[in-house]
Amino acid sequence: MANNEQVNVPSLLVILALSGLIVRYLFFSTPASSRAQQQASRESSTARNREAAVQQLQQMFPQVDRRTLLWDLQRTGGNMAATTDRVLAGRLETPPQSFQPPPPPTPPAAQAPSPAASAPAEVKPAAPDLITRYQLQDKLAVTATKTQETESGKGAKGWSTNKEERQSLLQKRRDQMILEARRKMEAKIAAEKEKAGAAAS
Amino acid sequence: MSSSAHRRLLQEYRALTNNPPDGITAGPVSEDDFLHWEALIQGPEGTPFEGGVFPAELRFPRDYPLAPPTMKFLGEVWHPNVYPSGLVCISILHAPGDDPNHYEHASERWSPIQSVEKILISVMSMLAEPNDESPANVEAAKQWRDRRDEYEAKVRDGVRRSLGL
Repeated sequence: MANNEQVNVPSLLVILALSGLIVRYLFFSTPASSRAQQQASRESSTARNREAAVQQLQQMFPQVDRRTLLWDLQRTGGNMAATTDRVLAGRLETPPQSFQPPPPPTPPAAQAPSPAASAPAEVKPAAPDLITRYQLQDKLAVTATKTQETESGKGAKGWSTNKEERQSLLQKRRDQMILEARRKMEAKIAAEKEKAGAAAS
Repeated sequence: MSSSAHRRLLQEYRALTNNPPDGITAGPVSEDDFLHWEALIQGPEGTPFEGGVFPAELRFPRDYPLAPPTMKFLGEVWHPNVYPSGLVCISILHAPGDDPNHYEHASERWSPIQSVEKILISVMSMLAEPNDESPANVEAAKQWRDRRDEYEAKVRDGVRRSLGL
């Protein structure tokens, strides 16, 4: 008896799973359940092609939003060339409210930089400032005291036949340009504050 | 890499180093790859971009100078002719066959007699004078056209932020 039960538990599970699938097919798919599977696989491959097409189109036209592109692709039957022509001719239609395409397959973190063009302010929330980008934090304080030195050092530009030297000269010129801009802007802001303070008193 | 692209870029790099145009610094990120450059452009005076320094990357095709490079700002640049991705859209960066809308005259477009220097100078003047005809950033273009004050304030804010201030 106990043995029998042990054998039955796995088969029971199989039966449960199968009936679950059957119920799913019967109630949650089209009546033609025999064709449902085929259709589903066809749909997923269309979806994949669509996705590839829309990604390519978005690279060409980052200003057009994904939903609009998908809507047009749906209407042209996935014809990228036709959609491209319409974008260029400015004949894209706004998709109806009811058209809700699936979200892009990338994880949410990766899709953050490409939202619709209607929200450009949020496109690059984390563009690092120049001081961070070129790692100039240490040089900020130093150059503030050596302003004159760097100004006179400006004349030391020129072409070096040594690859490494060239590289470091280029970097130096770049750093100088940024630090100088930063210094000037700091002075300007300070002057503005002073003016505002003077006006207030 | 094709040696003619390399030769040409080395020659341009030397010219830009010996006689840098005002407010422009440019060169390869590393000389191991001459097809990838980085440039700094100063915001033109008398515009809301004044005081700013804008880094951009240039990527050259293997058949440069037959085909133009692409240019992409690496920081935030709010401008009608710069895509939200940073990609710059001006005529000198387009090959003559590239313009299905015929907005641009062939003479303004890319040809091998143009150069990195000319591109960077064109981009500088583009910052000062946006081209309204084929906006890359529609929102910025609308704001530039209809609410100039807001546009200029936004650009100025971006400039200060980019300098860490």
